[in-house]
Amino acid sequence: MRLGSPALPWLLLAPALAATVLLVLVPVGETFWLSLHDVILFRPRVRPFVGLGNYVAVLRDPLFWESLGHSVVWVVVAVSLQFGLGLCTALLLNRTFAWRAVARALVIVPWALPSVIIGLVWTWMLDFNLGLVNQLGVRWGLLEAPIAWLARPDTAMAAVILAVVWQGFPFFAVTLLAGLQAIPREHYEAAEIDGAGVVVSFWNVTLPGLAPVIATSLLLRMIWVSNSLDLILVMTGGGPGTSTHTLPLYAFLKAWSGANYGYGSALAVVLTVLLLAVVISYAVRAGREAKA
Amino acid sequence: MKRRTLIASAAALTAAPLSAPHAQKPAVVRWWYHFDDPKASPAALVAEFEKANPGITIQAENIPWGGGADYDTRLYTSIIAGNAPDAAMVKFNNLTRLLEMDALAPLDKLLAGWSGKADISDDLWSLHRAPDGKAYYLPVQYVVLYLYCRQDWFAEKGLKLPVTFDDFQTAAIALTGGDRWGFGLRGGAGGHDHWCSFVLGGGAKMVKGGLVAPPAIAANRWFVGLHTERHVFPPSAPNDGFQQIIANMKAGRTAMTIHHIGSANDMVAALGDKITAVPVPRGPQGQGWTSFGDGSNALLAQGKNQEAAWKWISYLSTGPANVAFNKLSGQVTVTKSGAATWDVQPKRFVEATVNSLPIAATLPSTPQTADFTRTVWPQTTQKALVEQITADDMMAIFEKHYFG
Repeated sequence: MRLGSPALPWLLLAPALAATVLLVLVPVGETFWLSLHDVILFRPRVRPFVGLGNYVAVLRDPLFWESLGHSVVWVVVAVSLQFGLGLCTALLLNRTFAWRAVARALVIVPWALPSVIIGLVWTWMLDFNLGLVNQLGVRWGLLEAPIAWLARPDTAMAAVILAVVWQGFPFFAVTLLAGLQAIPREHYEAAEIDGAGVVVSFWNVTLPGLAPVIATSLLLRMIWVSNSLDLILVMTGGGPGTSTHTLPLYAFLKAWSGANYGYGSALAVVLTVLLLAVVISYAVRAGREAKA
Repeated sequence: MKRRTLIASAAALTAAPLSAPHAQKPAVVRWWYHFDDPKASPAALVAEFEKANPGITIQAENIPWGGGADYDTRLYTSIIAGNAPDAAMVKFNNLTRLLEMDALAPLDKLLAGWSGKADISDDLWSLHRAPDGKAYYLPVQYVVLYLYCRQDWFAEKGLKLPVTFDDFQTAAIALTGGDRWGFGLRGGAGGHDHWCSFVLGGGAKMVKGGLVAPPAIAANRWFVGLHTERHVFPPSAPNDGFQQIIANMKAGRTAMTIHHIGSANDMVAALGDKITAVPVPRGPQGQGWTSFGDGSNALLAQGKNQEAAWKWISYLSTGPANVAFNKLSGQVTVTKSGAATWDVQPKRFVEATVNSLPIAATLPSTPQTADFTRTVWPQTTQKALVEQITADDMMAIFEKHYFG
């Protein structure tokens, strides 16, 4: 085939396209197909077509709406805090200080740990009877008495968000640090000559310089956090009651624990549709950056 | 070969002593198992069996448990995919689901010709019989839940070890104070066993209307009230799982909890003679209920090597092999011969287990039970314990789940 042939790009892309179709599109199609049926795992011979019945049931399900609300809180609060903490960390790591290389290496540790391990570590740190948080809190006078963080509806969501913030802020720290290092030094020097202080420089040089990185990393992290359920599963199982039920956890419990793959698939499809807005934003942004 | 013919020939072969090696068509038996201790390995048992049965290779696959949900779902999926193992460890609460899938091979004919049958007590056989009257499960281990008690604290307060609910409540209140709690409730996944002891033991019945009848409502109000009014459970109880109730007991934070002999050696290592066990207390009418934790092996109907697989699972339920198996699983031998010399755990815990057998039972073998234990029970009970719903709402939800 000649180098200029119009078929050549498709030929080169074919392996990646085939993998995408097999590993992404086929499972998504299968999930949608399952969602149109009443599929109970232990009744393999009975799989009636119910059309949109599962979707109607989802919309009438109070636990779906409760889980959706929890998902919104989970994503907005967790990603905001991760971003804030990550940005502060990146700004610190961008300064010159002793042992900076060690600090940069250590900050990535939470990101490198498996979620299940992080969930277990935080479960025990927050444990009512034996946890470090309560022991230190009481000893230092911050708490009057130990708190059952994971067993109270008013604190359980905050506790799991704390764990996911700890897990996720290094992603922002490292990504934003790379963005900071790409901002030309001359921009800061020019701002200083114009009389800009630290805050003005931050608003007019740092933030505009970081904007593309911030947008991309926020979109990616929103998608990941929206889909994640492992920390919640390990730390609370969605409880107490349904206080930490999020949509992916609900879909997982329905399908995996409840063996109801039809309803679980419908929940997964609804979650996918809701996330599409974020995914499309990311794809448009990525396409624009590629053109630039 | 037709299945009936295959089973019959397997029965004939199994009647021969396993210790006598004979010509065996080469077969690989895929066997799924799970031990609580991930370090425990059945490799020695496999080696001994393979030595006595040339031609049979056991491919033992350790399947993640995940509170039961992981294991069961993997098993169902393998069956649907036509890739089920030849034999697998199973529990009673998924029997009806497996039967609904036509996934199990009946064992009655094989058992009729098996010399080890008489070494397993009739109580265990009757507990393992399927609703259709047939036997599909071959018992390999069991536990019965009992009540752990800090006997040193009971002695300090001049309390007697609880026999009735009243004794239990009196002790729980007396032993609660400071950073100590009377009872370590497992409110997270798997905690239905605790609830069953108090509410089914207190008069609720797993029949239509039996969960909303006056005795059931009264028992559940009392159970929930232990937390919301009398505060004898740690505040963390709604979310506490197995690890927490055991850690709290070992750390001297709780005076009582419910578990089984599988944790006895761990408890003794931490607390020595300060800890003992008794059967769970009985309800106001003298009835009691404790969870029978079964563990069996079953032959999968689609298995390709049922003859060899039967040899393997029957070997695991036979005398010394069953004792060795239960040393790995941390549970109790199902054989009478093994029980006579059982010294794996201190005697007082074995006695508490045996004395609990008269009130040992399982939840109904219906498709609703698995979902009840995994999702419905923890979600609903946690809501009642944190007072988002009432104790009566809780029972209404359970009644609806089971009986519509």
